[in-house]
Amino acid sequence: MELQEEQFVPKPAEILDIREMTSIERLFSLRFLDEEYERSFRYMPGQFVQLSVYGVGETTISICRSQTRPGPLELLVRRVGRVTNALHRLRRGDVVGLRGPFGNWFPVEEMEGSDVLLIAGGLGMAPLRGVLQYVLDRRERYGDVNLLYGVKSYEETLFREEVLEPFERDSGFRSFISFEKDDPFYEELMRRNPERVRKGVVTVLFELADRYLDPKNTYAVVCGPPVMYRFVLRELDRRGFSPRKVYVTLERRMRCGVGKCGHCIIGGATSITYVCKDGPVFSYFDVLSIRGAI
Amino acid sequence: MSKGDLPKLLSALKEFGEVHGPVRYGKFHSFRRVDSADEMDLSYTRTMIPPKKYFVRPREEILRVNLRRGYELLREEPRNIVLFGLHACDINAIKVLDSIYMDEHPDPYYASRRERTLIVGISCLPDDECFCRSMGTDYAYDGFDLFLHDIGESYILRVASERGESLLEGADFLKKPEREDFMRLAEFERRRASMFKKELISSHLPDVADSLHDSDAWNEYVSRCLACGSCNLVCPTCRCYDVFERVDLSLENGVRERRWDSCFLRSHALVAGGLNFRPTRFDRFVHRYNCKSGINVETGLPYCVGCGRCTVFCPAGIDHVEVLNSVWGVVR
Ligand SMILES: Cc1cc2nc3c(=O)[nH]c(=O)nc-3n(C[C@H](O)[C@H](O)[C@H](O)COP(=O)(O)OP(=O)(O)OC[C@H]3O[C@@H](n4cnc5c(N)ncnc54)[C@H](O)[C@@H]3O)c2cc1C
Ligand code: SF4
Ligand code: SF4
Ligand code: FES
Repeated sequence: MELQEEQFVPKPAEILDIREMTSIERLFSLRFLDEEYERSFRYMPGQFVQLSVYGVGETTISICRSQTRPGPLELLVRRVGRVTNALHRLRRGDVVGLRGPFGNWFPVEEMEGSDVLLIAGGLGMAPLRGVLQYVLDRRERYGDVNLLYGVKSYEETLFREEVLEPFERDSGFRSFISFEKDDPFYEELMRRNPERVRKGVVTVLFELADRYLDPKNTYAVVCGPPVMYRFVLRELDRRGFSPRKVYVTLERRMRCGVGKCGHCIIGGATSITYVCKDGPVFSYFDVLSIRGAI
Repeated sequence: MSKGDLPKLLSALKEFGEVHGPVRYGKFHSFRRVDSADEMDLSYTRTMIPPKKYFVRPREEILRVNLRRGYELLREEPRNIVLFGLHACDINAIKVLDSIYMDEHPDPYYASRRERTLIVGISCLPDDECFCRSMGTDYAYDGFDLFLHDIGESYILRVASERGESLLEGADFLKKPEREDFMRLAEFERRRASMFKKELISSHLPDVADSLHDSDAWNEYVSRCLACGSCNLVCPTCRCYDVFERVDLSLENGVRERRWDSCFLRSHALVAGGLNFRPTRFDRFVHRYNCKSGINVETGLPYCVGCGRCTVFCPAGIDHVEVLNSVWGVVR
């Protein structure tokens, strides 16, 4: 038996760049100090890493870019607690620890030949951005690509240039945006694109998108705050999306990332499941059979 | 072998490493280092803390961190241990832990201790709280190196590993068992089987626990539960841990450590934004029973091995078997 110490010991990685995305979210670009390791590091959209700030602790963060795109690993981190606050205090050139990549990924290969529907709420855009990039980088292999993105306001919109690009030019996918707060930017955008932008929560976008959706031939990928899932899944259900072609990614407290510490266990006696190693990506079909999953 | 030859067996085992066995300690028993056979109480029923403490410590440092250089695995002085006198339930529980800690991502700390531990089982007689028979864990088919079957004046020694066998090479105190010895063994097993008082209705247990997740039948017990988590700490298959990191005063070096955790604590299922997936004591109580009522897919063994510790050491007197049987009662 091979002891996989590297799964347990964070590897040093240098912060190459930090981009302010919103008032509480930053995008970190990282490179492993060990060049050999950097070259062999492979990941897929939906996988996550365990990120350590030296002396503070470790936290779970999704990889938010696709490896089909040249460039460093990117993590979008919201400042919410001990580790993420400490991370936000670091600067370019500082070093953090990384373990991973862990978990399964969105079935981007199986999705080939089908339409792709991405539904994101708030921070949920981070893991979905990897899927979007992957699909756009292999554009000819997929059908229609639609993004429904629910945000609070322009200020809180993640990856603004990328998700708003379709409003300016053809960028390979259709973008629909819902916003909740009074917001001059989106009100203006809505006036110019009433068929793509609407005020309300993300589910209001279905009405706009419906004429582009072919539920029989579409893979839907959903990520957002836990409350969002129930409403979005109901809309998908109603439209006849197959539960086997709807994917979600779940969030749980994670300590080990590899199925030991027990924190991310969901489901009960008949279906004990680890979000860290059996997920974080689950089909809606799985979710229906695991109690308490959403 | 004759019981009188136990010291000889122990000195053969010491060739492998330190011997640890069940020692009476105040009111309870505990696995401790022993030097001679008479320090042990081999007729014990259960220890308070299960043998898992040898593989995952209640609290242990796992990584060293230097604030400039990063993390490094903390290696401990490797040490061979003979765990002497484990009961079948505890052996089965270790098999469950093995399947978790030594799966596709072997935990380096657990795996190295596990490989350096020789397990010697011993047969036992149940007390009022044992229900391993209901769980099918009253017999260990494997997961040990040697096993002593008590047949009165002597033991039948079962050898289950090459490691165990090689330690016994040249042991002149071993004799081939006779026909009568096997009859005594059968007699012992019959008597043992008739002694179990508690029975958990374990047929369809996973389904029952799951489908009655929202039943009111839990309420009576939930309202008594202190959410102290003792049942988690004494359970031989509970293995949740939490992780902490601290630095020394010079702000130069630190350690990452892990500690046994309990799903009864509010923080167990907390995620960012203060959202908690098991916010109430009811949720956490039912979660524990759900977890314990599952079957470990790798070993086919139940997550509860019927050792009775959680019942014996619950300060609120909550009886694991009674809780599940009464929930079962609701469906019948
Ligand atoms: C698969 C997965 C992917 C993720 N991807 C991302 C990502 O891409 N980007 C991202 O920003 N986040 C992501 N997260 C979420 C992220 O892991 C958490 O936000 C993270 O744990 C925060 O770590 P922290 O140490 O900074 O916060 P902590 O200090 O652990 O605090 C987090 C929150 O928990 C609550 N909390 C903690 N302790 C207590 C307590 N004692 N009492 C009450 N409330 C408490 C607080 O509300 C606090 O806001 C992901 C999580 C998972 C599971
Ligand atoms: S030991 Fe008893 S009181 Fe304490 S958490 Fe367990 S069931 Fe509740
Ligand atoms: S749940 Fe209770 S009886 Fe079952 S193995 Fe754990 S401590 Fe023993
Ligand atoms: S994060 Fe530890 S078991 Fe999943």
